Amino acid sequence: MGFVAIKGGEEAIRNSLAFYEEEINLSQKIDPLAIENTLRYGVDKVMSEGSLYSKKLSAQAILKAGGDLLNASFFLRAHRSSCARAGIAKTICTDEMRVVRRISSAFKDIKGGQILGPSSDYEVKLILKKAVDKTVWDDYKNDDIFVESALKPLRDANMIKTLPKDEKISDITRVFPSAPYPRSAVMQIMARGESGSMLAFAYTSMRGYGDVHPTIGDLRLGRSEVRFTHPFTKNEVKIGEIDITACEAAATFEKQSDGSTKLTTGFGCCFGFNETKAISMSILDTTLYNKSHTIGQGGIADNFEMIVHHIDGIESQGFTNHYKLPHYVTFQADLQVYENAKKYSNQEEKK
Amino acid sequence: MRYGFLDEDAKKEIRRATLKAIAIPGYQVSFASRELPIARGWGTGGLQMTLAIINEEDCLKVIDQGCDGSVNAVNIRNFIVSVTDNQTTLDTLEADIIQSRHRIPEEPMREGQTLVLQVPYPEVLTNVEADSYRQKVMHANSDYAKLWVLLYEDTAQFGDSRIGHRYPVMVHDRYAMDPSPIPKYDTQKLNNNKALILLGAGREKKIYAIPPYTKVEPLKFEDKEFKVESFADKKCTRCGASGVFMDEVHTNDGEVKYYCNDTAYCDKNLEGKL
Repeated sequence: MGFVAIKGGEEAIRNSLAFYEEEINLSQKIDPLAIENTLRYGVDKVMSEGSLYSKKLSAQAILKAGGDLLNASFFLRAHRSSCARAGIAKTICTDEMRVVRRISSAFKDIKGGQILGPSSDYEVKLILKKAVDKTVWDDYKNDDIFVESALKPLRDANMIKTLPKDEKISDITRVFPSAPYPRSAVMQIMARGESGSMLAFAYTSMRGYGDVHPTIGDLRLGRSEVRFTHPFTKNEVKIGEIDITACEAAATFEKQSDGSTKLTTGFGCCFGFNETKAISMSILDTTLYNKSHTIGQGGIADNFEMIVHHIDGIESQGFTNHYKLPHYVTFQADLQVYENAKKYSNQEEKK
Repeated sequence: MRYGFLDEDAKKEIRRATLKAIAIPGYQVSFASRELPIARGWGTGGLQMTLAIINEEDCLKVIDQGCDGSVNAVNIRNFIVSVTDNQTTLDTLEADIIQSRHRIPEEPMREGQTLVLQVPYPEVLTNVEADSYRQKVMHANSDYAKLWVLLYEDTAQFGDSRIGHRYPVMVHDRYAMDPSPIPKYDTQKLNNNKALILLGAGREKKIYAIPPYTKVEPLKFEDKEFKVESFADKKCTRCGASGVFMDEVHTNDGEVKYYCNDTAYCDKNLEGKL
């Protein structure tokens, strides 16, 4: 076993990078436009976690990372950090989305109807090649569809618990909040959180470490206008459209401080078409802001510290991978402490 | 690209947080922590501090685990140079800013120098209290009872604390602080150091500092001596130095050899320049 101090890093890094380039060389031959126009869910996931809305850069990042989506998000996030901040756009109202898919599992009959839209939910997951159906689109109208949230009737009837609005919207990329965390900050942290982490945390609450059984009140995919106040004219202008996914979950009811009983809900919203992420986010929003009714320990998913500090894929990936760096100074120190402790216990035994 | 990569607002924020940290030794100041093209946990906290304080005349040294030539040190140094065009050095005494991971150089630092330490876990209370709000209250009350209990339980079982590195220290008799994962051997160098010591945690978004000539003591029971790593009877196979922190190297034929962990120190000793 030869263990020598790792020196000569300069050349080693160069060689390693060259080797890596070779490894992912073929992916560099793919036209990024082909990625952008074909692998939309990969592109959307990277945009969402990289927290920068650019399909073009997202596709480039996927190629640059050889298809490693978390790494691609990292490229995008670092690029975003170097972009100048123009300001904060007007809050999007999801009722004003141009909807391509919208379902509710809470209500059978909703205003605007269930719109199945593009979905792989009912796809039989066989990897075999199948003949493409020549679909005949019955009654298909190419009109823009705008529908109000399926929960609106309940909201109008004052049945739903509302949370106080933050007076000032946080910007977690400029000031990271300390506990207790403003809601706008928590929502931002989740909106760019890693889909898999959010799914895992949300799942804990569904299957034993909490008591949330959410019902999807309104899940929608579609396009939304981004509106911004022009810095010179001060007029509100449309600066573009983005694909987003939004989900409102309804959970249990709860007694309010004014004595009334209200239904609790949670909200999730993210860039691109990411249904599982939006649903997970809406569940976490529910668990965080509504007390668990389970007797005993608090849940994992209702702990702000747990969610705020562990949901970001780029941060957890970076830290996990840092263990690949040499640690022989700290391990050397640990070993000496261990040797001393061993000596001590041996002496104790002899006594 | 801008000098020092970060935009002016970011540098201003980091400098202000750093000034506050210096004014309250050992106290953790929150900052937004920018995303860098280098991964979280790879020294982004130290890197942001270095980028925020470095100016054109500064000479830079980067250490990783005692070595200027190891991959992460090389990578960080190359990045800083590519966005600043600064001079770099391997010589501890020549450097104005030293960014380091897991080590404080063997050669004593002088006034006017700045040591920037990369920090993975800034919160000394994390192991005994995971909730950051409660941690804050405990710091405010200078309530370190849980740390003392941990120390006591370890001592009762193992004769000493089980903490091998990042041993908690008390700064200026006020704040308990995580000194970054330096060995206990280096903990003593924090006390009354002539250089300014800055600590940055990028992933955890915290900045803290030890100003020059500040009292820093390891948390220790009065009747227990503070035991540091000892290489008392060992000599560096390469330069012959003793009384320094060593790397234990197992050769292919089963022999155990010792080398200075601080490679720049070892080189200098070999050249007779110490």
